[in-house]
Parts: sequence; C-alpha cells; structure tokens
Amino acid sequence: MRHRLILDNITHTFEDGGMQRTVLDHLNLHVSEGEFVAVMGPSGSGKSTFLSIAGALLKPTSGVVLLDGESLAGKENNALSDMRLHKIGFIFQSANLIPYLKVEEQLMLVAKQGGMKKTKANERIRELLHKLGLEHRRNAYPDKLSGGERQRVAIARALMNDPAVLLADEPTASLDAARGMDVVRMIAREAQERGKSAVMVTHDERVLPLCDRVLYLENGCLIEK
Amino acid sequence: MYLAIREMRFAKVRYSLIAIIMLLVAFLVLFVTGLARGLAYDNAASIQNMNASHFIMEKDSNHRFTRSQVTEQVLNQAGSVAGHENVQPLGVRMTTMTAEGTAGKLDVTILGMNPEGWLMPKVTEGAAIPSNGSGRVLVDRKLKDSGVIVGTVLLDQASGLKWTVSGFVSHESFSHSPVVILNEQDWQQLQSLAAMRPGTGQSEDGKIYNAVAVQATKHQAEQLAAALPDSEIVTKSDAVSAIPGYKEEQGSLWMMIIFLFIISSFVLAVFFYVVTIQKSSQFGILKAIGTRTAYLVRSVTLQVLLLSVGSLLISMLLVEGMKSVLPDGMPFLLESSTLAYTSGAFIAVSVVGSLLSVWKVTRIDALDAIGRSAA
Repeated sequence: MRHRLILDNITHTFEDGGMQRTVLDHLNLHVSEGEFVAVMGPSGSGKSTFLSIAGALLKPTSGVVLLDGESLAGKENNALSDMRLHKIGFIFQSANLIPYLKVEEQLMLVAKQGGMKKTKANERIRELLHKLGLEHRRNAYPDKLSGGERQRVAIARALMNDPAVLLADEPTASLDAARGMDVVRMIAREAQERGKSAVMVTHDERVLPLCDRVLYLENGCLIEK
Repeated sequence: MYLAIREMRFAKVRYSLIAIIMLLVAFLVLFVTGLARGLAYDNAASIQNMNASHFIMEKDSNHRFTRSQVTEQVLNQAGSVAGHENVQPLGVRMTTMTAEGTAGKLDVTILGMNPEGWLMPKVTEGAAIPSNGSGRVLVDRKLKDSGVIVGTVLLDQASGLKWTVSGFVSHESFSHSPVVILNEQDWQQLQSLAAMRPGTGQSEDGKIYNAVAVQATKHQAEQLAAALPDSEIVTKSDAVSAIPGYKEEQGSLWMMIIFLFIISSFVLAVFFYVVTIQKSSQFGILKAIGTRTAYLVRSVTLQVLLLSVGSLLISMLLVEGMKSVLPDGMPFLLESSTLAYTSGAFIAVSVVGSLLSVWKVTRIDALDAIGRSAA
C-alpha cells in the first residue's frame, strides 16, 4: 500500500527565552492511501507545529516530509505554495472562508489558482457541492451560512484540487456534537473513497470512532495507546 | 483579479467612500493644473508662441527682456553664426496707453518686430501691418473688452506717439498685459524718443532692440555664446520664467499641486494599510491554502489602480464640465499632453501609496492560519 504522507524522523526545535525547546523529537508518521489518522494531545504538546510541518507551512529543523513521494526539503517558497495548492487540502478550526466570495466562488478561486479549466472547474464545483449537500447555498455569502455549512464549504474547498493529503486542524472546535460528527464523517468518507491520506488534530473524543488510527503526541513523538 | 474585483463588489460602501475622496483629489489636481497652465499661458503667451529656441540678451540682464538692450551689431553677428534667416530682432516695452474714444488707461506691452519675420503672429481680424511706413499696429483681442476696435487711435503716455489699430491677434500677452505689435520703424522711433541709457557708448542712430530671437540648435547656441562674449544666450523657457511675476505665480500653484499629490498618496496608503491589517488573517489563510504572495500583491495593486484610474476618468469629465461653465476671463488651459503627464503622475503616486500595504502583505505568515480559533 502506498503512503501518500510520510514524516520521516522529524525534529523541530526553537529558541524560547534563551532555552532550546524541542517540540518534535524524531517523530515518524506514515499515513497510507485511504487512511484517516487522528492526532490527540494536550495543549502545548506541539500539535500545531506538527500540522504546520506536515502542511508545508513550516520547515522542520531536521527530517524529511514526503507528499505523494515528493520531498519538501530544499524547496523555494513559491514551490511550497504550489505543493500546498495541489497536494494538500487544509481544513481549519473555524471555516476561515473569504467573506466576500460566494460559496461557488470560494471553490472557483482555488481552481483558478490551480490552473483548472473553467468548464472542468464548474463541473467539479457542482459535483462537490452536491456531495456535501450545499447545492442550494451556492450563491450565498459565508455570513449567511450556518457553522456546519461553513465547515462543509471549507471541506469542499480543501477537496477542490483533489489533493493527496487532507489536514484538519480541530475541524469540530466551533461546531455542536451532531454537526461535528457530520463534518468528520465527510472527511473520513472522502479519504476512503478517493484514496487520500487524512490527518486530523482534535480534542474531540466523540469523533475518534470514525478514525482508522488514533495517535497521541507526547514528548515530541507520536505513540499509539 | 478575481479576488480584487469581487472584494470591491462586496464592500461597495467602503470602496465608494475612498473612491469619492480620490475623485475629489484628482479633480482638484486637474483643475489646479489647468489653472496653473492657463495662468502661465495668459502670462507669457507671446513669448511661448514664438517659434524661437533661444533669445540673445545683454549680459547681466537676468534673462529679462525689459532689462536687456542689444544693438544691431549683435543682430548681425548672430546672423552670421546662425544664419540670417534664423535671427529676428525683438523689442519689448511695458507701457501705459489711452485709447481715443474710451475712458481709462490701458496697461500694455509693446512688441517691436519685423512684420515679415517668423516672430509675427497670425492676424485674426483686420489687416496686417506693413514693414515700412508708420503709425499702424496690431493689438491683442483682449483689448476689445476695453472698447478698442479696428481704427481706434492709441496714445502712448510716455512718448506721446500715436498709432492706429490695423488689426487684431489672438492670445498675445506678456506679463498678463495685452500686446501691441509695432513694425521696426515705429519701434525705432519710440526707442529714439525714450531716453538712452547714459554711458553705454552707443551712437544715437544705432538701432536698439531688447533681444534677438534665434532658431538654433544646441551646437549653434554654443557657437553664439562664444562669438558674442558681451551677450547671453537664454533658452526660451528661461526667458519665460524670468517674465515678472511668472515664477512666483507658478511656484505657489505648483506647491498646491505637489501637496495634492502627496495627500492622495497618503490617503491611499492609510486606507489600504488599514484594510490590509484588517484582512491579514484572510491573507494568512489564502497563503496557507497555496496562494502565492505575488497573487495577493497583484490583487492589492490592482485595487489601487482601479480606484485611481476610475476616479481620474470621472474627474476628467468633471473638469470638462467645469470648463464649459468657467467665465471667459478665467484662464484655464489643459492640453492633452499636460493631462497625460498629470494623470500618469497621479497613478504613479497612487501606486507608491500602495507599497506599504504590499510590504505588509508580503510579511503575513501563512503559519498564523494554524491553531487559530476565530478568523
């Protein structure tokens, strides 16, 4: 089985008030095609750093990140932007949609930047909105959407360029239990159906049964319990 | 492009307000520029209209026509260097006249020139004046407002000489006063009646002018300067700025224009900087999902350009409208070249104003997007 996301021997340290702090210490993670991994851990355990490194937003002090077999080491900022655009789908804590774009425009923006043809983009937008039950909201602005709808738009945006890896940063944080379950179920289904590697950082234990694997971030390493 | 336009569509009120400010500033810039150009033209039209590249004046005359005196000898010497067809004598004298049949005095500038020479402006009404014979003059049409018509006799207060108006010329003025054009013979008569400067050692019968107008290349001008050590070769623009009142008038107007440019730059800079700070979390998200910084920079710059170009176009229409309701006596002149320069400068200044925001956009870190609980 192919691993679409590999973190190999990642160490990340930073200077904190004159002290050298090691946030991630020789961390290893292989997420295979269609697998959905949950990462738990107390505040300050380095979850955000872990996700930033996996998402090509932060360069680790040492170690290699491989997306679809391609290493991120030594890439320029623009190349990293392109990797994020094409290979990674981000889902943030709150939906973080662009307030002045209608639902379909949020998706069109990503498609345009990814260089997708307009007819193909329109087709894909229709397909995604249908799948996520948002067809009737395609011309709404984000402030007219409910919290759950917004998070679903964010998922659609993350899926727009058909990325290899889905990274979710506490996607249920701003939702009630039922909506949260819905959202996580959608991420799980997408990972499974389209053979993506999905990683979700979460505090929410209720959604864990939907994940294939649950890991805990402790002392800079990921361990299974 | 996609982002910039949709954001402006969404935040109509915000962008309309800034557009209105820009519109007013752009209007003021164009209007004051038109006024400055109009006054400049009204002031120095006669000299500006002359098809000369340089003027030969007396040394130490500070580039002023009225202070300078040159002899026929200088004219001939200049002619032998630059070619006799490329030099023309010019007399300038500011004086006060009365017109027969009207009350009140007129401040005018007398220009003495060769009626067949290339300094002679086009006659728009009445007849041209002959090279020989005396007593007939051309006057600027502004004098019509004072009741002067073809055939009116003008009396020079200082010399007591009388001339009959033979025809009118348009847009001929010097130091804001309308121009009266004499042929050489009349000019020399006037000159001989006026007191000669003592101690210049020039013979009474030698012809005296104020300057010699030259059509010369840069190289010829240098040759002239070498051949005429007692004279100064003055470029046309220097001669224009030395006209009494010209520099002072233009200086204050230009200060206003420059300040307007600075103001518009700052207004834009502040507006876009505040908006950019407000949107920094959005920009962070966009960068996190793979938007290149260059795309965001283009987006901000495009908004600035749309605002400044849009407000410029509308203000041009407003200025056109304003022009049609301005009173005739108000000098206003906005040639297309001036309009192009001013618009270009306005747009450039706007783009400079957006640089602060562009810098801010490049500093925003995509990392902010992770671990953020509210956007």
